[in-house]
Amino acid sequence: MTAQEQMAALIEIAERTGAAHEAFRSDDAIYVVVHGNEILGAHQVPGVRIEATETDDGIDAAITVERGVVLPKPVNLCFGHLGKEGRQVIQSHIVIEDGAKAVFMAHCIFPNATLFLHAMEGTIEIGSGASFAYREVHVHSREGRIEVRPVSKVRVGPGSLYEGDFTLVEGRVGDLNLDFDVEAWGAKSRVEVTSKVYGKYDDTCKVRDVVRLTGEGSSALVKARVVLSDASRGLFLGMIDGAASGARGHLDCTEIVQGRAQAEASPVVKASHPEAEVTHEAAIGRIADDKIAGLMAKGLSEDESVDVIVSGLLR
Amino acid sequence: MTALLEVEGISVAREGKKILNRLSLKAEEGQITGVLGRNGAGKSSLAYAVMGLANYRPQEGRIRFRGREITDLSITDRAREGLTLAWQHPARYEGVSVRDYLRLSSKKAEEKDLAEALSLVLLDPRSYMDRMVDKTLSGGERKRIELASVYLMKPRLAILDEPDSGVDLLALGEIMQVFRLLAREGRGVLIITHREDVASQCDRSYLMCSGSVVLEGTAEAVKRYFLSQCEPCQEPAALEREGCSE
Repeated sequence: MTAQEQMAALIEIAERTGAAHEAFRSDDAIYVVVHGNEILGAHQVPGVRIEATETDDGIDAAITVERGVVLPKPVNLCFGHLGKEGRQVIQSHIVIEDGAKAVFMAHCIFPNATLFLHAMEGTIEIGSGASFAYREVHVHSREGRIEVRPVSKVRVGPGSLYEGDFTLVEGRVGDLNLDFDVEAWGAKSRVEVTSKVYGKYDDTCKVRDVVRLTGEGSSALVKARVVLSDASRGLFLGMIDGAASGARGHLDCTEIVQGRAQAEASPVVKASHPEAEVTHEAAIGRIADDKIAGLMAKGLSEDESVDVIVSGLLR
Repeated sequence: MTALLEVEGISVAREGKKILNRLSLKAEEGQITGVLGRNGAGKSSLAYAVMGLANYRPQEGRIRFRGREITDLSITDRAREGLTLAWQHPARYEGVSVRDYLRLSSKKAEEKDLAEALSLVLLDPRSYMDRMVDKTLSGGERKRIELASVYLMKPRLAILDEPDSGVDLLALGEIMQVFRLLAREGRGVLIITHREDVASQCDRSYLMCSGSVVLEGTAEAVKRYFLSQCEPCQEPAALEREGCSE
């Protein structure tokens, strides 16, 4: 397969999972497409600096959205590999300068992988009065057992918003160990982190979302939606630490188990400042009978009802 | 003439306690049939038994729908035969929009049909179509969406479990018109309620107490009896002593 064919194949899947048709084609598109450790394509516009270099087993990328730049369209990052085996380590350093607004969509595509390591080690620095959303969607093969190691450290400045969204619902999860650590250090900063994972077969899904609210009046919502079927196992470790005056946080975890799957959740709410308030809700269990019966009474089969419920939860 | 629904002497026990006791009733096409009773009389259990919920399968008796015995059919099969239930407390579905939820009832429904159904239950389609059927809806809003869903399904028989709960009094009259509309289309409606003013708007009513039907008659007659005799709710033995069993 030529590099051009690899790029076309990765883009086709990215478009199927949320990228707009012109995301990798138009003159004002901002993107990077990486296969393994090869940068197949990249495009930038004034106001956004992308410096990417190939390493032995992946890439090292630094992306900066300059002060006051508001990007009207998402930046698309496509990291993938079309082979069965291998490894890809992505080192990323994202800076959103003061007053900038941007949405990044990361497409992690491994449609044929059976034995693969995909690691992301990223830092995100958000200045003041800025807004940044990082949405990561994975596409894996149905049979593969990929090791997925996304590790991110995020710092959110005054009056800024950070939205982090991680979705791994298509294909097998494999062995996921997600570790997000966010510090909302700026006054009145806001953090919203959502993780959606669908484990199958003997997948293992470990999700660790930690948010420290050290900025006065900062706030956070951490949501985890994990569905575990067959003999998969899931562990959610979530923590919000209200460490400043007026800090507000809420942690919301729902794990659904089917078959012989097992789930565990350890939501930790901590108020290390006396004027902080952090709440949580966690539910683990099978899908409630009344939800299934409610849909069956409309003529859906039991399996169809479960599909509707699971799809909604992971949407 | 064969009734649309015939419940013949069903008994249901849960955890060793009989919750329906040799109960019989009928519902006809083109009619609104009421089942009136105090809280705890077994009205919702009757609805669950007719709909086929796993824990409410009759130990005796049978249920016939359009002349066919359905006692052993699954909920899905009963629904595909044209039977449905609007629950007293409808479940919530995270991530499912009102539009998608309504479409589950009628795959062929067009946007205008969905909008019409919402309007009938006094919800503005522009405000509600893209909302989620989750905890952001109030109990009353969720209830109305369930009724809109039943309307769209165009069932042969709709069982409505306490359709008035969570719905304000002013809206109730208009929502009753939706049920009347279903009946006018030749469909059957079985309304389960503890409110005599709701039951009095039915064509025919049954009075339930302690898992049994204790009276059948015109809606007005059942309402009169209910108001004069049925408070507080008594055990069947006491009712028998007072001569008000079937």
